[in-house]
Formats: sequence, structure tokens, C-alpha cells
Amino acid sequence: MTKSIVEGSQNVEVSVKLPPEKSAQEQLAIMEEYTQVHQKSLSLSRERRELNCLKVIYPRLFRSIEEQDRFAGRLDFLPIGFGCVTSLGGVGHYCVFNKLRAMKDAFDTPAEKARIDALYEYWTGHDLKALYCEKVLTPDTTGRFIDCRYPFMATARLSGMMLHYDWLCEYGIDGLKEKVRAQLSRQPGNEYLQVSLETLTLFQTVADALRAMALKAQETAADRRREELSLICSSLSVIRSQPPQTFHQAIQLIWLYALLAGCINYGRMDDILGPYLVRDLESGLITRQEAHDYLKSLWTLIENRRTTVNGRIIVGGYGRKHPAEADEFARLAIEVTKECLYVEPQFTLRLTKDTPQDIIDMALDSLGKGATYPTLYNDEVNVPAVMHAMRLDREAAEQYVPFGCGEFVIQGQSIGTPNTLLNLLKLLTITLNEGTDPFDGQYKAGPVTIPPADSFSTFDELYDTYKKLLDYYFDLSADAQYYSYEAMNQEVSFLFTSLLMDDCIQRGKALLDGGVRYLGGTNETYGNINTSDSLYAIKTLVYDRQVYRLSELVEAAAHNFVGYERMRQDLLDCGKYGNDLEEVDALANDLFLYAANGIRERGIQKGMQYYLIVISNNQTNTEWGRQTAASPDGRLSGMYMNPANNPQGGADKSGPTAVLNSLRRFEAKYHGGSVQNIKFTPNMFNQNREKIKALFRTYFKHGGCHLMVTVVDRGVLEDAQKHPEKYPNLIVRVSGFSAVFVHLERDVQDELLSRVLYDE
Amino acid sequence: MMNKEQRPTSLQVMEIERFALHDGPGIRSVVFLQGCPLRCPWCANPESQAFAPQLMHAAASCTLCGSCAAGCPQKAIAVFGGSFHIDRRRCLGCGTCVKTCPNHALHFSSASQSVEEILRVVARDDAYYQESGGGVTISGGEAFSQFPGLLALARALKDRNYHLCLETSGQAPLAHVKEIFPYIDLFLFDMKHLDSAKLRDTAHGLLSDIRANLEYICSQDPTRIILRVPVIPEFNYEPALLRQIADLAVSLGIPEIHYLPFHTLGKSKYEQLAIPYAYGEKKMLTRQDLIPFREYAKARGLIAKIGG
Repeated sequence: MTKSIVEGSQNVEVSVKLPPEKSAQEQLAIMEEYTQVHQKSLSLSRERRELNCLKVIYPRLFRSIEEQDRFAGRLDFLPIGFGCVTSLGGVGHYCVFNKLRAMKDAFDTPAEKARIDALYEYWTGHDLKALYCEKVLTPDTTGRFIDCRYPFMATARLSGMMLHYDWLCEYGIDGLKEKVRAQLSRQPGNEYLQVSLETLTLFQTVADALRAMALKAQETAADRRREELSLICSSLSVIRSQPPQTFHQAIQLIWLYALLAGCINYGRMDDILGPYLVRDLESGLITRQEAHDYLKSLWTLIENRRTTVNGRIIVGGYGRKHPAEADEFARLAIEVTKECLYVEPQFTLRLTKDTPQDIIDMALDSLGKGATYPTLYNDEVNVPAVMHAMRLDREAAEQYVPFGCGEFVIQGQSIGTPNTLLNLLKLLTITLNEGTDPFDGQYKAGPVTIPPADSFSTFDELYDTYKKLLDYYFDLSADAQYYSYEAMNQEVSFLFTSLLMDDCIQRGKALLDGGVRYLGGTNETYGNINTSDSLYAIKTLVYDRQVYRLSELVEAAAHNFVGYERMRQDLLDCGKYGNDLEEVDALANDLFLYAANGIRERGIQKGMQYYLIVISNNQTNTEWGRQTAASPDGRLSGMYMNPANNPQGGADKSGPTAVLNSLRRFEAKYHGGSVQNIKFTPNMFNQNREKIKALFRTYFKHGGCHLMVTVVDRGVLEDAQKHPEKYPNLIVRVSGFSAVFVHLERDVQDELLSRVLYDE
Repeated sequence: MMNKEQRPTSLQVMEIERFALHDGPGIRSVVFLQGCPLRCPWCANPESQAFAPQLMHAAASCTLCGSCAAGCPQKAIAVFGGSFHIDRRRCLGCGTCVKTCPNHALHFSSASQSVEEILRVVARDDAYYQESGGGVTISGGEAFSQFPGLLALARALKDRNYHLCLETSGQAPLAHVKEIFPYIDLFLFDMKHLDSAKLRDTAHGLLSDIRANLEYICSQDPTRIILRVPVIPEFNYEPALLRQIADLAVSLGIPEIHYLPFHTLGKSKYEQLAIPYAYGEKKMLTRQDLIPFREYAKARGLIAKIGG
């Protein structure tokens, strides 16, 4: 296997993780043991192999309980281990090769270095993602995630899983065991169920180990801390087998389970934790301050996992069993979010026409303080949209939750991991250059024949040829997504995750083995707006007004517009998306529909419940832009592409109503999530609150599905670039995630700066 | 002074500002019209004063390449001595220079737009007006200086049931005020000074006209006025005078008064027009400075605000 496949960064990693607690020697020993167990288990079932391997790392990789923790459970990740996602460790049985190799520096002796080499060697043949990549990647069309030379990237991961934590709290571990046993009696000898039972026992082993850890810490703790640790001990001794009875126990149970499952999004915590919160407050078991402290501790534990683009907690919306109690939780959670100013959890508020006004006001206050949270989702649009997009009834659709950067999944029922990514703009530049990527001169059009630019006698001929190239890539995409599930299923069962997903226990099947109720998926698309703006500029200047020939535009772009400044200005002067211009937005919408339907139909043909484009974003718009040639919208070579489905930074010059009108053009029922950013100064946002509220209300009433809001003063971001040391805690919304501004790379910062900031 | 091609239902529009928050209730679009009979030396929009569109030159973007001068059919532009020069008497506003400039350093302060075109733009935000209790505001310049167009626009907007504000200096013929009155929901009426000599000498304003118009509107319906007082150093930033203006509002039955602190944010526009700005170096007033006057007005039973 080539190095380029197995090495290289594999995920947006902006927040630096805490270094593992164990010494390098211990880490090496654990990784060796994991590897040996994996090797020895090769002849066993994948379920058994997974559990055997999990037993190597659990509970061993748990860190000590920190002084401020009100719950037990901090987990380290080594370069070799088991996981679901690339942002924590890796996928399935994984090896993060570059990190493993980097570990060599920690060792002095050739013998130790050789031990690492041996691990490296073994895992090149067994790392799940490497196995997937070997099958799927091609020299000219499909790159590894993240290899931005390609117009298409594919990966294997199980992102965005949000589990049935309601079952966990209702049944408890023993109750779950009962359910598994009952099913086992119907399907005797079912290996998956048998191992699942033992997986739950492993949970108990871990709970006991953490309890022992807390007991030990009590010995040296001062009075108050001793009480706190004692509460942790007692909660752990309950939840190791029983359903939780208190707010504290419920949080401890969910937290520990999410850690073991490798899940980094937490879902609708309000509906699950709300009743415990209200009951404990009413009975006087805890004060509101204690509840606040618990939640703050949970927020801190989530922040400390540093997954950068995940950590979703969702409150509000339709389909909650305990709306009144859930709203109480929401209020507390907004308070904590506003106080913490963390980049995670990605705290999310689902709005309905019945959302209490005080919750909306609290949310806006939190945004006005610069927290970037909550991100806002509009159920009135999203629930019907999800029904169509994912082909679900209303009851199921009401359980939609955005994960990661904003892709939707049905909590406890579906998989929606975005394992494919398409750069629409790169594909346009390839179309304009007879199939060759002008960025590197490589041919990337596969079997699609693309004639020279000037042979397109009408705009539609050009557009149709572009669509043919898209079709080819859509085929690759659907295949790669589907195969990612097959590849993962061959190797692993995701035991902890499967246990809390419909309908794994009932069917006696692991998640990807036919267990999950809705096998969905998402395809991230990038450069959408640059592409439609480019097409519009071509249509206007080449075909409608005939100012330039297409080949002249292509030639100018090939020179990055050097010597063609006038032409670039003409291109920039063409109407741009984000200004509420009918024709421009219509073309953007047409492209959107083509991509959305093309992907969706192919997914359905493949047998998936849904496969949807998501116009989300992390910072891949900037990273991919670095390797995308100059484009006819006037964008320069290597420059960031537009974020999500927002305009290219600065292209929207007509104010917030115009930009929101453009944004709501894309009908939500064809996508699986799209991200809309808006940026205000505190003065604008806080001094005109009623009008800002009316602005948002109007947008949501008329089809707006979502909004994420950054409130930051003019000049602050510029100053933070110059004096990062002065802004260690300045949080901004990148697109699908929030980040500490000064941790971002320079051109990602530049992209944020380029976005219009609304001021008075 | 209308453009030749300008039809009666067209107006010289400087800008249609969407999501305007300070020119009447709710979320609004503001249509700024070119031309003003007053010459307030503190004016933040000097390009709005002349009745013809004004060529604006952004020195920061200009490379002094001279292509504007070379292309000007009227030879109205010259580039020499390291700077750009325009003879405004020669300029016919043909726009050749704006199109020729490779650096986007030139633009005109306004363009002709038909009532229909204006309606199309403002209609894009109908939903926002409805949700916020907003609407459309016509402003200037002094909107009355394009009276036929203003009247046509006001009628057309009212036909479509927009909440309509008119921002005015009050410097207009009474007959015009009477004619437009039925279409305007709310006048944002400037009251700059109560001394006719001072107003005339400083700003070319005729207090008698302005008072007559104000009193006419009040005689019809004083609740359709918000009195606006731009508070300007060395002109009307005097406690006694500002109190008198509030007293006037009270005596006329006007319910609301706004104090607008002087600012110099229009400074770069003077540079773009290459004309001196007498107020360019004066210190801006803060909200804080105006609090005593707001408090006075409140004590007199007015709704009083600082800023719009």
C-alpha cells in the first residue's frame, strides 16, 4: 500500500487534544497488545474480535478523574485502537499512521523504534480505512479524505451517530441485557447478540473501574471534593446495572456510554435529561446551582474531547416526549453555554412556532455575547423537508438531528455519515479545459468526452457537458458511499453503537449488517456558489452579451487573470448569488437541484434509504480552494471557495435581507442539511434586537431552514490576526463548527474575514 | 436639471438601502433621492446636494492611469500633478469614464430609476416589513426636490399598501406638502434651528417655509410626525435652543422627537468630490452628550430617542 494512502491528515483538527496520560512505554505496550489480540482474533468472528480488542483498551485508556470533574470518564486515544470517527482515533480497528510514526521520536533505542515499525507494518494490511482506500481510490478521480488534488474524496467512517439514550435511561444496562437475552432466546447462537451481551458486561467492568478510581481519589480529597467523588461513586454503582434515578446518574450513564461507543454527538439531551432535572429540582435533591455545575462539568468534558466539528447537543423542536421538562433543560443549557464560551459542545436549538419566547430571547442573548451558540434550526421547514428527503413519516422525521457540520440524521434510527465529498467548482474548471484540471495539468474526466471550450455554441451545451461530468462523479460517489458500509461491515460491528440503534437487537444484526433501520448517507458538496456564479458570468459575458469568447475566459483563468485584470473585473461585476437577484439565484438553484437529485436518486437506486447532498462546511472550502484553479466568477487560483451555500466572501453587497432571501431559495427537501452563516457586530445585533428578531422570524417563516450567527466587533478579527496572543478565547463560527479564531490557519482566517459583517 | 432621458415617472436614485433600521418603524428600505436645496455645512451626504448625479472619485483605488481622461468625450477630466481633476461644468454624466476605469475608482452618486424598478427592489423585502411593522422610507437629499417623481412613487407605494415614511428637511413648497400628505404615514421632519437668520446663513434654509409645512401637517395630524434634530456643534448644540425645539414639538402636539448626534462619517465623500469639508475636523458628538436633551423632552411628555 502506498504511503499516500495511509499517511496524511485525515480530519479537520483545529483544537489540540490533551496528550495521553500514559507514558510512551505504556502506550506502546497497549498498542502491541491490541495488535496481538487483533491478530489472534483474525480467525474469530468480527464481533468477537472487536470485543476482544475493546477489552484491551477499556478501561485501561481512561484518564484520572480531574479535580473539577463532576462525572467520571475521560478517555485517551492512541495511534492504534478502535473507534468510529477520524476525529477521535480512527474508524473500526484503526491505525493513524502519521501519528504512530511521529511516536518514534519518543523512543531512543533502535529496538523500540523497530517495535513501532512492526506495528506500522501490520496495520498497513489491517487498518480499516486503508483497506477501504485501497479499493476505492484511483490515480485520477478519487482521492483520500483529505487529499485536495482530486475533485472527489472518499472515506470510511461512522460519523454522526446519535443513539437511543432514552432506552439507556429507561432500561438501564441490566434491562438492555434482558432485551438482548430475550432476543437471543429467539435466535439461539446468534453471535452478534451473544457478544453484545458481553459488551454490556464490559460497560459494567468499566463503570466499576471508574468507581474504584473515584474511591481512591477520595482518600486524599478535601471535604467538599470528597463529597463530590462520593456522589460519582454512588452514581456509578447505580448505573452499572440499574436505570438512573437522578439527574446526576443519568448524565453519568449517558456520558460513559457515549465514550465507550466512540460517539461524539449527543443528540436531544433536553428530552432525556429534562425530566430528571425537573424532578430533582422539585424534590429538593439538588439546587439549580448544582444542576448548573453538573451541566458545566459535562460541557467541559465534551470540550476536552476536542473533536472540532462535532459535539452536538440539541434542544427544542417537535417530537419530544417531555416538552415542558425539556424546555427547563434548554434554559439551563443556554445559560451554561453562554457562560462557558466553549467551541464544543455545538449547542443547537430547534425552533418551532411554539418555542417559548424566553428561550428564543435567551438564545439571542447568548449569541449576542459572542458564544456562536446555539445554532438555530427551523423545524417548520426541516421536519417536512426530512420527510421528503429521507422518505420518512412525520414521526420519524421529527427525530432529525443535525450532527457534525450540520448533516441531518434520525436519532437512534439512521446512519447519515458523509463519506464522500465533491468539489463542484474543480469539476467546472475541468469541464472548461477538455477534461484536464488546470491546477495541475492532470486529466480527471474519466470516460467523459469534453470538447474544447469554443466548441460549445450555446450556454446549454456547456452546462449539459458539465452535467455529464457531474453524472460520472455522482456514480463514483454513490458507489464509494455504499462500499464504505460494506467495507466497515466486513471488519467490525460497532457493538456499543449497534446496541442503542433501531433495530439491531430486534433483528439480531449489527448496524451495518442489516441492523440499522435507515441506512442513509450524505455527500458534502463544495464550491456550489462559486460554480453557479461562474456559470452565470459565462452565460452573461460569453453567450448573452458576447463580450468574450469562452476560450478567452479559460485562457485568462489559466494566467490567474494576470494581464487580464479588466476581464476579471467584468467577471466580478456580473451578478452574484447572495444579492437576491432573480436570475443569478435561479441558476444557483438549478445547479443545486441537479446535484441534489443526482445524488439522491443514485442513493435510492443503490438501496439506501436516503443519500443526500449536504452543503455544509468545515474548513474544507478553504483547503480545497488551495488546490482549485482560478474560476470564471473571478476567484483567483488557490483562493478559498465559498463557505457552505453562502456567497463568496464579500460578494453579497445588498444587506442581510437580500442574502437571506438568496439563502432560502434552496428547498430543504432536497438536501440533508445546509449551513447558513451570518455575521453581525455586537452593536448591530444587540442594539436592534427586536428588528434582528423580526429578521430571523421572517427568514424562518419563509423557508429558511437554519442559521448560525457570529457576533463580533469590527476590527477584532483583523487585530487578532496581528496579535493572536491578545485573543486566546475569541470564538468564531467557521461554518459547520466553531473554533478559537487564532487556532485557525491563516487562509481560513482570511476566508472568515472576507465574509460580510453587518454593522450599523 | 433632469437627465434628458429621464421620464416623468423616473427618479434620480442614489441608493435603495435595504434592512434600514433607523428611518422609521420596523425593518425598512430607504430610497435616497438626489438633490437638496439646503447647504448644511455638516452634511454627511454632500454628493446628494446637487440635482445632477455627481462623479465620485476614490483616490485610494485610482492608479492615475489616465484612461478616464483619455476616454472622456467632453474633455472634462484631466490627470496631472499626481492627481485627478474634473470640470463638473463640462461633465454631462455620460458615464464613459466609469466604464473605462480599470480600477473601479469612479462612480456616479445616482442613477435614473423608474418607479416600477424601485417597486421591484423594495418588494423583495415585503415579508420583512410585514413581520416587523416596517415599510419604505423616502429620503434624500431632499426628496421634495424631485417632486413629480416623488409623488408618483409615493402614490405607487401607497397603492400597494406600504407603510410609508418621508424623511424631509421641510424645505418645500406648501402646495407639495399638501399634495403628498395623504400618502405619507409618517414624516421624519428635521427641525434644525429656530432662528431664521442663522438657518438661512448657515444652511440656506427658510424657516418660514419649514414652519409653515410643519404646522400644516400638525393641523392635519401631529401624530404623523417625528421631529428630528441633528445636533450640530457651533450651530444648534445649545441647551436653550434644543429645549425650545422640544417645546415646539409639545406645543404642536407632536408626540416624538429624535436627537441625531453629529458625526463625520461622510468625510470620505468630500474627498471623493474634491470639495472642502468645513466640519471634517470637528469632534463627533456621542449619545452621552445628548442624554440631557432626551431627558428634558421626556420630562415634557415626549417620546424621545437618541439616534433614529
